[in-house]
Amino acid sequence: MAIESNTNVKRFPPCRSACPARVNVQAYVALLQKGRFKDAVEIIRKDMPFPAICGRVCFSPCEDACARTNVDQAVAIRALKRFVADIEREEERVKAEPVLKKHQERVAVVGAGPAGLAAAYELAKLGYPVTVFERMPEAGGMMRYCIPDFRLEKFVVDNEVAYIKEVGVEIKTGVEFGKDITIDSLRENGYSAIFIAIGTQLGMKLNVPGEDLKGVINAVDFLRDVSLGKPVEVGDRVAVIGGGNSAIDAARTSRKLGAKEVTVLYRRSREEMPALPREVAEAEKDGIKFQFLVAPKCLIGENGKVKAVECLRMRLGEPDESGRRKPVPISFSEHQYPVNTVVPALGQVAEAKCIPPELLNKETRNSLMTVDPQTLETKVPGVFAGGDIATGPASIIEAVGAGKRAAASIHLYLTGQDLHHMREECIEETTWVKNWGHVKKKECRYESEVEKPRLSFDEAAQYMEKLEQNAKFEAFRCLGCGPCAECLANTELCDADKAVVNADLCIGCNVCAVVCPFGAVKKNEDNIAEVNENSCKGCGICAARCPEQAITMEKMTNDRIILLATASCKE
Amino acid sequence: MTNEDPRIVCFSCNFAFCGRQSPAPPNVNVTRVQCIGRLDPVSILETFEKGADAVMLAGCKPPDCHFQEGNVHAELTFKILKRLLKLSGLEPERLELVWASPFEDQDLNHYIIRFAAKITKLPSSPLKRADAESSYTVNVIAAKNAASQFRMRVLLGREKELTESVNTYGEKIPEKDYDAMLEEIVGGEFIRYKIHFLTRNVPMSVKDLAEATGLDRNEVLDHVVDMRRKNMLAVDHIEGATPLYKALEV
Repeated sequence: MAIESNTNVKRFPPCRSACPARVNVQAYVALLQKGRFKDAVEIIRKDMPFPAICGRVCFSPCEDACARTNVDQAVAIRALKRFVADIEREEERVKAEPVLKKHQERVAVVGAGPAGLAAAYELAKLGYPVTVFERMPEAGGMMRYCIPDFRLEKFVVDNEVAYIKEVGVEIKTGVEFGKDITIDSLRENGYSAIFIAIGTQLGMKLNVPGEDLKGVINAVDFLRDVSLGKPVEVGDRVAVIGGGNSAIDAARTSRKLGAKEVTVLYRRSREEMPALPREVAEAEKDGIKFQFLVAPKCLIGENGKVKAVECLRMRLGEPDESGRRKPVPISFSEHQYPVNTVVPALGQVAEAKCIPPELLNKETRNSLMTVDPQTLETKVPGVFAGGDIATGPASIIEAVGAGKRAAASIHLYLTGQDLHHMREECIEETTWVKNWGHVKKKECRYESEVEKPRLSFDEAAQYMEKLEQNAKFEAFRCLGCGPCAECLANTELCDADKAVVNADLCIGCNVCAVVCPFGAVKKNEDNIAEVNENSCKGCGICAARCPEQAITMEKMTNDRIILLATASCKE
Repeated sequence: MTNEDPRIVCFSCNFAFCGRQSPAPPNVNVTRVQCIGRLDPVSILETFEKGADAVMLAGCKPPDCHFQEGNVHAELTFKILKRLLKLSGLEPERLELVWASPFEDQDLNHYIIRFAAKITKLPSSPLKRADAESSYTVNVIAAKNAASQFRMRVLLGREKELTESVNTYGEKIPEKDYDAMLEEIVGGEFIRYKIHFLTRNVPMSVKDLAEATGLDRNEVLDHVVDMRRKNMLAVDHIEGATPLYKALEV
């Protein structure tokens, strides 16, 4: 593949290439193997500020990509992340060192959700004075107000937000964009760059008759009100309409609030559900019922209060533009579900009223903003936008990825560089495994989500130890299939080493190619061994086996090994 | 005879003991290598030559090698080293290979102390006091040369290929045959390099060599013929009817 100069070629293992925030998974799993839990968290924080949050609610694209799926099951990467982050929090996190502000230009970030906070965090690490403006009383965005407590505890969000503040981000809450501040007012107050990450805050409407009846509450508002501690009325029988994670969250929350019967109505079948399978399973454990292939036709009310949902049966037709099969209504299949509360959870749209009209994307139906997909800049120079507001409702980790990209753009913009310079990331998936039959099976036995039992102090200590061992065992399932992760370089634990071939001694016997577990050494056209630096992990097996001793390691040469080993042997 | 203060060298894998390593006793030198399979047999023999009483290799229990196959290589290295130590007249117990699981609780020191207790029962290494002409020195140099010899190293490197898949001629070598082959090559190379070393300064006859190596004269003659063919040895001069051989530079 020809590589252009404007392209940034990176070789990552499958997990890291799959992660929108490019978290160095292989590195922190390797540190976990060593029992260096705190260092593992630091490695995660290099790429994103939410180890504990993502450890709980990420949809873990890394696990879907994991090379181990070719052998048995993916490594439980998300659970491991949660484990290290929890250990750090429980053992009293050390306060983060504030980063020195070496730049003068102030940056404003609007919206303290995952995208905004991630961008602010990246910029603060680069040394910019950053201020985040948030409408709600506390920072966290959807992570705080839309994900219920039983999935993501508030103190976890508090902890991660506190960390971001400690790094040097200023967060101003209770400031509404479009009302208290605008792009112009921010400019006047001396902000050189603005990042808009206000997300999509409004629940999408059902667009069926009877939507204004009492007892119909949108999932986003419902979850937000519950999070804010507002009194929320939930009837005995609840119907949640939709199949995403918000729908499941709303269903489980209403169940926990006392609803006797909660039914999720979804117009496609279970396979097409966008919600995470593990969440659906949890919901079923909570006793939530599912009705597939039904869509509401209208809501029937009595005295202004919702009484029943009238639904149509659906069948699946041809795949639509999203790749999922389109539901087609079956005529005369109307039937009713008696309910007291209806929670539509059909997705979110942005609040168009606070966005300057020239920045709106007219083509989308959910009032998103037009941005350059690569640099995230809008038509107005110095104004950037990203996260849900640019892409439509997505996940936390995608928002973090957008935040990181925006931060990089803002840095380039403020230092007067070309925004497109070296931006086109070319990620090459790199794994060394040639023959999957050679990889030994090791079943995943990790259960992280088990509730901590009530234990005495002694038992608790043992229990923690067991958890640690389990986590280490799980970490050792990682094949480390990517190139040597720079995690441990130059530490006392791993002197990332490299094989060097002495071409004068090499006779081209090919033994090195046979013994290298990573296929990093190969003969070239001149019949001389050549080391591929990207695949070489520096184990040194080729050096130990080279018949002509033509291969040496860069740092740990044979002579050095002997010198170190026999240092105390001389009398 | 016992050795109260043995000098022990421990090579430990970087990944087998995740921080489970309290300070080692003062007489033990712990050297970390990236992978226990990284150790060249020659390096280990050299540590013996430099005066180590015993060497312990500590690696990850199969199948948990960080580098997938490093422990397989370590096992093979260990096997031929045992053989070479025996041929050199050193107790093979001076070398030990221990497996540790990366997620078990045992400290590296636990293995070291257990090993050191065994080593104190052995006399101190004869190589410590040996001068350049002592039979131990000669042996260990011969062993080192044998271990750096091409034929043996190729065989070691291709172990997996030879025993698990077919070779160029479509044959699959059973593991037993492979072991026998390795045994023969190790033994043969050791003797040949010993003869080579013995005759490096002084020309010697087959009779002298048989006495020095403790082998049958016919066997020595076989090796001498072999070595002449390989340009390791040449006739220096003839005394009466007895040819005296001298080593050539290899």
